[in-house]
Amino acid sequence: MTDERDPKVSQRYRELGREEPPGELDAGILAASRRAAETRLAPLVPPTGRRRWYFPVAAAAIITLAVAVTVHMERSQPDAEDIAPPPPAAPPVPAAPELRKEAPAAPAPLPQPADAMQERRADVQPESRARADEPSQPQAVPRESGAPARLLGQVAKAESPEAALDRIAELRRQGKHDEADKALAEFRRRYPDYRIAAEMLKKVERP
Amino acid sequence: MEAPDEQLMLAYRDGNAGAFETLYLRHRGRLFRFVLRSVKSRATAEELFQEIWMRVIEARERYTPQARFTTWLYTIAHRRMVDHWRRGGLSLVELDEHDPPGDSPDPARQMEAREALARFAQALQALPVVQREAFLLHEEAGLSIAEIAAATGSNAEAAKSRLRYAVAKLKAAVEDD
Repeated sequence: MTDERDPKVSQRYRELGREEPPGELDAGILAASRRAAETRLAPLVPPTGRRRWYFPVAAAAIITLAVAVTVHMERSQPDAEDIAPPPPAAPPVPAAPELRKEAPAAPAPLPQPADAMQERRADVQPESRARADEPSQPQAVPRESGAPARLLGQVAKAESPEAALDRIAELRRQGKHDEADKALAEFRRRYPDYRIAAEMLKKVERP
Repeated sequence: MEAPDEQLMLAYRDGNAGAFETLYLRHRGRLFRFVLRSVKSRATAEELFQEIWMRVIEARERYTPQARFTTWLYTIAHRRMVDHWRRGGLSLVELDEHDPPGDSPDPARQMEAREALARFAQALQALPVVQREAFLLHEEAGLSIAEIAAATGSNAEAAKSRLRYAVAKLKAAVEDD
């Protein structure tokens, strides 16, 4: 310990006297200390010190855990894409129609789209239905035939040029030439440098 | 061998009233003088002294020996004193009649010694509050610079500076004799 005392100052300070508290004050304080020591054992003493933090901390931990589990469960819900048919390049499988029928029910438990990714996913869902549409499933076609060119453009964003050409060819084959023309125009706008093979060109252009 | 203060306080925390009594008797005089020389009157000093010990009793459940018991005790005392000063209780220590030690039969020398002591008491009274507190904590309570800083919520540099100023002024008062 660094001692900053000065001997003369210390001595003079001591000469000021050694006052003591009065006896009754001592007695009062000691009595209070004894009473406190006895009441310490009382069962209804509220938690003090560090223990008073236990309850709010435990409550906060439980709430945090509950929220985390809820969020996790919501995020792990299967969405339409997860159960959608295989990519467009893959040939349609017989199970596709059943899956397609289930698809509209799937979005119900999904949270509202909140970001760009979810918006994009929502736009893709109709496309995946259209992609799964087979000639034997004409009842689903009106959904797509009513889709505006904007939708086709957005669809084109999500599919490869080859898949887009296959789809246009399919439209031609079904006799939906207006839609095929619009889709082809959108295709050319989107892929101006894409060279369509002669055989495919016959399929996608208006006969 | 006497039990350390910290051990006594822990024992009191655990319900041993006798441990508190030992602790109290060990510190009562110094703490009382620290308070007495920081305030206006003896009555106020007694009131503050009692309140400080009541706070010690109330805080026993939270006591952990992270520092010397003395530092903890004077931290409580400092806070209580600050409350008192903020309420307008800041004033000069009331001068009592101090009888200087010694058995000089010479009345003239006795008078001279009494006057010297009165000058010293006045110099102590005249110190700024923080300097007087630092001096009393060091001289009366035996706290180190670091402990003074801890008890008063300041830093070591400030505590050292306050103490040095206080000692220098009091030394000047002594050397004037």
